[in-house]
Amino acid sequence: MTTKTFAASGLGIAGSIGRRALLVGASAAMLFAFAPQSFAADPSGELVLLNWATGNEADMLHALEEGFVKAYPNVKWKEINLTTNGDQRGAIRAALQSGEKADLFINTWPAFRKELADAGLLKDLGPLWDSAKIGDSLSDSWKALGSTNGTLYGITYTYGDRSAMFYKNSTMEKAGITTQPTTWDEFVANFKKLNDAGITPIAIGAKVWSHGEWFESMYEHLNGVKMAADLAAHKIPWTDPSVKNTLKKFAEMLNAGCCGTAQSMLAMDWNDAADSVWKTGDHGYQMIGMWNNDYAQSVHKLKEGTDYSIQQFPAMGAGHDNVSSVDSKEFSEFADATNKDAADAFLVWLTSADAANIIASHGLASPSNKVDTKLYVPVMQKAAQAVATSDVQFVLGDLLPGDLVDEFRVQLQKFIQDPSDANIDAVTAAVEAKAKTFD
Amino acid sequence: MSEVALSSRGSDGKSSQVQGGERRLTPLRRWIADAPAAYLLLLPVLVLFAFAVVYPLIQTVILSFWDIKGLGKPKFYGLGNFVALAQDANFRQAVTTTLLWTVSTTVISVGAGWAIALLCSLAPRQTLIPRVMIFAAFGVSEAVTGYVWLQVYRGNATGLINAILNATGLGAFAHPWLGDSQTAIWCAIIAYSWAQTGLPLLVIYAATQAVSRNVIEAAYVDGASAMAIMRYIIAPLSMPGVRVAIFINLLGSLRAFDTIYVLTGGGPVRSTETIGYFMFRESFTQFKLGYGAAATLVLLAAVLLVSIPAIIQRTKVTT
Repeated sequence: MTTKTFAASGLGIAGSIGRRALLVGASAAMLFAFAPQSFAADPSGELVLLNWATGNEADMLHALEEGFVKAYPNVKWKEINLTTNGDQRGAIRAALQSGEKADLFINTWPAFRKELADAGLLKDLGPLWDSAKIGDSLSDSWKALGSTNGTLYGITYTYGDRSAMFYKNSTMEKAGITTQPTTWDEFVANFKKLNDAGITPIAIGAKVWSHGEWFESMYEHLNGVKMAADLAAHKIPWTDPSVKNTLKKFAEMLNAGCCGTAQSMLAMDWNDAADSVWKTGDHGYQMIGMWNNDYAQSVHKLKEGTDYSIQQFPAMGAGHDNVSSVDSKEFSEFADATNKDAADAFLVWLTSADAANIIASHGLASPSNKVDTKLYVPVMQKAAQAVATSDVQFVLGDLLPGDLVDEFRVQLQKFIQDPSDANIDAVTAAVEAKAKTFD
Repeated sequence: MSEVALSSRGSDGKSSQVQGGERRLTPLRRWIADAPAAYLLLLPVLVLFAFAVVYPLIQTVILSFWDIKGLGKPKFYGLGNFVALAQDANFRQAVTTTLLWTVSTTVISVGAGWAIALLCSLAPRQTLIPRVMIFAAFGVSEAVTGYVWLQVYRGNATGLINAILNATGLGAFAHPWLGDSQTAIWCAIIAYSWAQTGLPLLVIYAATQAVSRNVIEAAYVDGASAMAIMRYIIAPLSMPGVRVAIFINLLGSLRAFDTIYVLTGGGPVRSTETIGYFMFRESFTQFKLGYGAAATLVLLAAVLLVSIPAIIQRTKVTT
């Protein structure tokens, strides 16, 4: 009865507004009904982004903003730009505590995501993932990477291969290395060739943080991503044999003449290490994030492929060689976002072919399966291929909470100063003592 | 207390009664009469002081009683942060490093400034340009000083010190200066002292210029050598300037941060981490605001310990 009444009423209205209008309205209703988005079909208003990206990444971000506005012309972007040096988390915290209001922000630290989520500041994006069918563009592994304790808080828009070793072709030619090593033994055997040519094989910038990269990739290759994740979550202690054996392997590498003196490593930051690979050619390899690709081109004017390339971390033969350490950047939405419709629309659009291709054309990798991989520069193609075919684990330094990461890096510095077995026991005990304070 | 006449001295130098000879004010009435005007004149400074110093200080004290980790909900912690500081081996190391840093930078910068000031006092005109150049370094920001010295200490052959050593056949002594726990702290101390020498030079040089020419000439007439005049007359009489320079340098070096941040980032292995750097790391990198505030108060106590006796002494001298 009720249905009939409504139907009759509807027909009555249809009769009064005309058949064409009815068709247009019905079509719009159909489109709206079948559209994957759960947000308003035409979001509008100001969309506020808490931004700390600079350089090429800021350029890409602006291109993404323009692309989104083309798709949703009624949205207007506003950026709250944080200008700070070093770790950006302090600036983000200060901005939030001082009352800055934003809809979206960029995050790259899972430990920071947990801090924000625990404080109730982030929106659960799980319902959006389901309703907008984001899973059609991003695989479940990216959903897992953007989740904390099973709840999705971040939509990944780019990632980097942190198990990629950058090298300059002319440096390798000078040392007589014509093919890149794929196994650990080949890699270590090349140290002599490089040292004989007056080149220190590996540039490890241990002044602040980048010395952790080698430990992490080594740990994953020796123990697998599951154990690496468990170590990050402190499900296994830092005094575990898996940690000690990894440090012993690291010690073998140091003793084989990989990296020069401990003091020279501790005097270099990551960019000093990069300069010594790209500019002076004093060092052979550097393992660092994919931003080094941009650094080589923009600062040192090198051409990828012809001047330099990357080689994936060598196989160590411990049964876990199909692994890659990765980092990623994600957009998160604040729980108290003012313009939720526009924020949701942007997060969904971010996984579209348009957005993915903007990211790729800026020399960065997109996790979306809609990306046109032909847009990738050669180094990025190699990195994307390696990550796509690997078990991935987020870089350990960004997973550790609070000042545990500081302790981890300082103890690794101590290890570099003295890579003896006795000191390995001491440094692992010190990290474990700090880790226990977070349990 | 005897009653005093409120008087003023006219342009002719003669004293005159303000309200007539018959009107005399007790100290209390005089204070009441003067106080409103005095406090009115002080008001802008007091407001600024309250806004810029007292309010942040009170906030810091309040923060130090709270356990704040990142953006988590603060929990009242009482004196817990101070207890934790006392038990924190990293903080104890930072205190030791701060002592070494403060004493060394003060001794070096004041010592160098004093020596140069005494030399310059012998030939004031001829040493004008060097004096200006040395003082100019004091005007350079600490962060810029750090970046300048970073190029000096670079561990590879492009570092100035290593380049000079290599060029002079002493390449065996080339060293990654900032990567060695033993040398990094001294490299930072030298860089900071270099920038700070200008102020002691200026203050002590001014003190040497206040030494009466008559005294120096009398000593010369009595047959004193230039060295003796320096040792027994100019150097002792420049001591008030030296004391002021020590006081200013102690305060500055206790709070030093920028140079260390740029040169070493507190490393290697926290070997150059002072209380100022520790406070920054805990407050702004770890965002443990309560813990950082407690460290700030310890630093403030150290600064007050140094400055209060000096302020009392200067107040006695000037009143």
